[in-house]
Amino acid sequence: KASDWRFIRLSLCGKVIIFNCKRASATSDCERTELIFSSLAFQREDNTFLKAADGAAIISRKRSAHVDIVKCKCAINVQKRVTTACILVTKKSEKGESFQYSLLTLSSSNHLEPCIEFKLPYQMRETVHILHGPTVLWSHTGNVFYASLQAGEVRQMPIQVSHSVIGELPLHKEHLFVLGLHNLSDQCSNTPSTSQILGYFVESGQVFDGTVILPHPYICITRCILVLSAEKVDDVLKSAVIAATSNQQLVYFENGIVKDVCQLPFEQPENIQVVNTGRNGCLFVISFHQGHVCAMWKETFQIASHWSSVSSVHVDDFLGCGTDQMLLFFKDQGITGQPLDTFLLTDLCGISYSVRHTFYFDSGAPKTPPPSPESDLTLRALESRLQSGLTVLQELQREVRVKDRVLQQSVRALTDVVSEIFALPVQEGLIALWDCDDESKDEALDDKTQDMPAVSSKPQVDKLWHRITEERMVVGVILTTDIIQTQSQVFWLPAPCSSSSSSSSSSAYMFSEPAAKRSKQHYAGTPNDLNTCRVAVTAVTRLTPLLNSGCVKCRVMLHYMTVHYCLFLFFCTDEVKEDLLSLMAVLDRWVFHIDSPEHSLGNIDSWIQKRVGCKRVEVSPQYLLLNSSGPSALMLLHWHQITPFQGELSLQTLQFLDSLLAYLPVSCSIQPVKGTKGQGATQIFSLALEKEMVSLIECVSSLLCEEEEEERKSLGHEETPEPGSVKGLQRCREVFQRDVERSRMRLSPLVGVGRYRRLTQSIYSLKEHFLDGSDFLTKYRKLWQAILVL
Amino acid sequence: MYLVTFQFAFTSFFQQRGGGDALSPDQNKPHLRWCSSEFHKLLKKIQGIPPLADYLQLELTVVYNVCLCSTAQSQFSEAELLLTQATERVLQMTGDAPVASDPPVFWRTVINSVGDTALNPCVLYLLCLQWAIWLSTCQLKIIQECQLFSVFETLSTGVWDEGRSELREKSSDIPLLVMDPRRLIELLQICTIIAQGAESLSEGRSSEALSGLQTASSLPAPRTLIAYTHLLSGSCLAHMSCPQMALQCYRKALETDSRCVCALYQSMLIYRQLGNTQAEIQGLRLLHSTLMLPFATEPALADTRLLSPSLLLRSQSLSSLLSVPSALSVLHNLALKCVHHGRVSDGVEYYLDLLAVLHSEDQHGVHAEGPPLPSLPELYLQAGAALLMARRPADCMALCDEVITTTLELLPEKVVLAEPEEKCEAETRALCAEGDDRVAMLLWAGAAYLLQGHCHTQLKDWKQAVTHYTRCFNLLVKARFKKGSNADMVGKQGTDLCILQKLKGLSLAGRGISFTQTDQLREALRDLQLSMQAFPECVSAGLWCGEVLWRLGRRWEAAACWEKTWSFTPQFSVESLSVYLQEPQSGPLLDSSELRRRIQELGPPLSA
Repeated sequence: KASDWRFIRLSLCGKVIIFNCKRASATSDCERTELIFSSLAFQREDNTFLKAADGAAIISRKRSAHVDIVKCKCAINVQKRVTTACILVTKKSEKGESFQYSLLTLSSSNHLEPCIEFKLPYQMRETVHILHGPTVLWSHTGNVFYASLQAGEVRQMPIQVSHSVIGELPLHKEHLFVLGLHNLSDQCSNTPSTSQILGYFVESGQVFDGTVILPHPYICITRCILVLSAEKVDDVLKSAVIAATSNQQLVYFENGIVKDVCQLPFEQPENIQVVNTGRNGCLFVISFHQGHVCAMWKETFQIASHWSSVSSVHVDDFLGCGTDQMLLFFKDQGITGQPLDTFLLTDLCGISYSVRHTFYFDSGAPKTPPPSPESDLTLRALESRLQSGLTVLQELQREVRVKDRVLQQSVRALTDVVSEIFALPVQEGLIALWDCDDESKDEALDDKTQDMPAVSSKPQVDKLWHRITEERMVVGVILTTDIIQTQSQVFWLPAPCSSSSSSSSSSAYMFSEPAAKRSKQHYAGTPNDLNTCRVAVTAVTRLTPLLNSGCVKCRVMLHYMTVHYCLFLFFCTDEVKEDLLSLMAVLDRWVFHIDSPEHSLGNIDSWIQKRVGCKRVEVSPQYLLLNSSGPSALMLLHWHQITPFQGELSLQTLQFLDSLLAYLPVSCSIQPVKGTKGQGATQIFSLALEKEMVSLIECVSSLLCEEEEEERKSLGHEETPEPGSVKGLQRCREVFQRDVERSRMRLSPLVGVGRYRRLTQSIYSLKEHFLDGSDFLTKYRKLWQAILVL
Repeated sequence: MYLVTFQFAFTSFFQQRGGGDALSPDQNKPHLRWCSSEFHKLLKKIQGIPPLADYLQLELTVVYNVCLCSTAQSQFSEAELLLTQATERVLQMTGDAPVASDPPVFWRTVINSVGDTALNPCVLYLLCLQWAIWLSTCQLKIIQECQLFSVFETLSTGVWDEGRSELREKSSDIPLLVMDPRRLIELLQICTIIAQGAESLSEGRSSEALSGLQTASSLPAPRTLIAYTHLLSGSCLAHMSCPQMALQCYRKALETDSRCVCALYQSMLIYRQLGNTQAEIQGLRLLHSTLMLPFATEPALADTRLLSPSLLLRSQSLSSLLSVPSALSVLHNLALKCVHHGRVSDGVEYYLDLLAVLHSEDQHGVHAEGPPLPSLPELYLQAGAALLMARRPADCMALCDEVITTTLELLPEKVVLAEPEEKCEAETRALCAEGDDRVAMLLWAGAAYLLQGHCHTQLKDWKQAVTHYTRCFNLLVKARFKKGSNADMVGKQGTDLCILQKLKGLSLAGRGISFTQTDQLREALRDLQLSMQAFPECVSAGLWCGEVLWRLGRRWEAAACWEKTWSFTPQFSVESLSVYLQEPQSGPLLDSSELRRRIQELGPPLSA
């Protein structure tokens, strides 16, 4: 590719060196092939490059020899410890079966000297690198070869890798490295499990983990790489690398982790260079195949400018001003005489010199003649002012944002308050509209129901049964009665078909709807009108005292209420049913009220049923039996949907609740239903513990917060002492001592006795009403009293 | 280690969201924009490498997040492009050839190509987003073609959720999603049903829409959307002429979401349709007070979540179904209804409220869609007429004065009334509009004088009454017809010509009646006869004409005149005419039974 160009340019020490391979033509007298070079320096006054030196070297004397320049690049000569221009030329043998390569270096006295020479049975096809050493590195048929001054011969990298990436590290000893994918298995996939990235230091032959430079997926797509910095800390390589990929991206890595990505405007990147523009930061110049170039700011990682039809890009201090500039030579169209006809010399921050016949410009530097130093200075001053102005503006914007937020929040709070005030009358108004037509009718109905005396003042006992489970005995009665209020558990026996009517086993007060409305509903639902309902009342007692005494008498205390409710029940005298009811009486149950004001609950019932191991209880279909694989084997579940937004769930273990929570809307609240009879001791205990925990946390945190508040107040007025004088130093020490003391205190704070007593007292008073009347926990209370005394 | 970098954007997103839930949507916007750009950066990073099975799950998750953010910002085409890119990369990874652009085929191929691997849910999540984009851009047909409901049946039950949470317990590397896909599917399902329902409803397929909406009402969804399903069910039922059932549905909608003002409005329309005026008036009153509440002005669906339902429900047919007139328009309607249906004192109060609101700077809810309010002079005149009915002539006169002073300077010397057919031809449209304005001015001023005449009549100040009626008449004669007035034109309602004739008739009648009170019978007869000519249906003119004839001794003529007047059937319904064009009920009245007695005493007419 390089040989396609007639001139090959190189920059070295602020000068441009042009190489040209002059071949002997058939008509000419000259039979040898010469490598001509000339070194040019930029003249600011004339805006041109002037020749500083030139020379030539004979490469071949054979007429038929085919000589090509493969590549030229500057590299450090390790022996001489200087950067020299290196040029790699190839001579094809007459038959074309072997290729002679020689690397020439340009000495300080402007002589071309042969440096490395080697013969290959093939032509280098892929990219060739001339790197530190000078070392020539290339890959051929999946192997990486190199030839250097030290080695003196062509060597092959001992590890077989595919997709090699070659780069230079700015390290002390090891400079050249090769990264490659090393397949662990024979499979050709490139996943991290089947292949690993190996790094190989050419100088030392050491193998290292390549992922510290490039992560795995990038190996295959990296086209060129530039190591910005590298150091070894405790034998671990720390690096900052940029790589251009075949996916049109420039990626910035730190220690093998992607930090930033920028989309590139062109395809097929070939080379990355760094331009240090001094005060204005660094630029990356990426050159692409087919003469595209783009420049990018390192700080912002964004494209600064790009050009097309560029024949070569060089980075050096051509002006001799101490910072780098980039020099772009454009491909000439038509004019072939002068190699340096059209160029652009710029650092994108004020320096710009150019000679252009045609404009290939896409963007970037101005097309005007170079600015004078004065205007440059003015520009810089203006620039810095702009920068400071910008920061002020940003601060202001931030403040405005904060203010806006505060304002909006307060407005919102205000509207919330106002809407709450207004919400009530509207609701009332709505009901007025809807019921206006039949209001009088309803009222009449209401009156009637209230006046009506209870149909049966005495409950009719349909069935009495008992079961014994473990150490307890369950006594149950099925009653036909009005509503009852009892200390025992009550189960409504549901109607067989109407799923809308209630079938909950919770306390009797569960409907808050006005009676008139509901009565209408039920007229529509079922034909027969029953005033009474059947309920099962169960009581549990411990078996041992019963066994000890001779005579067994079990009392079920009932308290009647004359409230009219319509519920329809079906008769079930199955023994199975009795079993179930007994079981329900014995089992500890949690009843939760689930309320989701903003989001309807959907079909929870079907969700529960779809769970693994869930089936309906045959005798009482409103109960679901859940046979989960977890630690709690069997569980009875019951879901009762009150409205689309509310429901009640009764269950035994809380683990189920966890998965239900994931299904329920985020905004919903779950409250254990208070006053559920049959709450086991464990439930009371755990609830009490929870409350206690919460209040304890609150008390303690408030205690600590107060401490801190006080501290802050006392700290507020202190000023930091001047560390210059002896006195100041003394004060500094004091402050430090105090700081140490304070942090120690914070770790194990001291609380005044009075305050601590107040804390415990408050917790105790909180606990008092939990524990009142519960014999179960008297011991616990005593314990607390003991603590208080302490 | 590679994954670590990707965690940043997620964590910052969720941290921000954790605190940002309480923020208003406006405040969330810059944050959303910021998150979106961070996600874009992340996506750029992750798409910078070739599609590998190990990373593709992560990549698709990022794509999901990016697309969701883009969709939430209404950048649908951008989101769609990202989806296409992502699915192409999936196909690239699985090695399947790119397929046809037909969406159902395309997505089926993609889903089949990933098979039952871990990628399957990720691809389905992307399909969810595609669904959201289709829904937002009202491409309901494609949604139907893809049979998305059946595709996501398993997803919505939450079976996947369990798998996911189990996975999360195992490793912390599972990337987080900005919105739970299950919630998204739920939202999409109900929104799709609502949008399809609205579409079917607007195309007249009510029963089809109804079944879908009924099932949708039991889906898990935000309160507002549940209310929408009830509302649309009500609209379907109303279309199927089941007004009572529709009312039930509207009621349910309101019970579900008290902010569903539209249900209130629709039920009011049903009451209007049923002719239940009392309920209609009550409905209007409630509607107005609801619209005056602060929350009514803010969009009902705005919330702090990422993807708001309002973004998904953008179809024209739905928004037209959900539109509610402005509070002022409702107030005007209410006032007019009250005046028409005998609640004059209420009507007057509403009119005064309306004028007060219009005068104050705070034009609350004026910009809402719906029919525009009548012009200000019109409102003044209506209010004046209401005041007159409520026997507050002084207030009425003040309002009319207002109208007269504002219009007086703008009154034309002469105005030509064109026939409506040729009224607005293209080339003369501008001219016409100007002419219309001038005609309107003239009519307003005339009506104002007429009302003032009525006021004086009510106060029994006959002289002043005559003056004002005369002023009215003098104004009206300034208008000329372009082509001789034909009877057809006069008969047409609402035209300027009709109003003009009516005004003329009423003013002449009023003056005639005033003359009868001051015993100027000749002048009275002339005016009353002219009035009957201008506006034959004027009852008071007919009766008083007979009375004058009677007094003048022309008893047979009087009898004939009365008989003729009684034989009139009112051509216009009460509500079709402006309030101020109705015959005043407050002037001197003649007792019909007394007149009939007189005719009977007179015996059979000579001619008979």
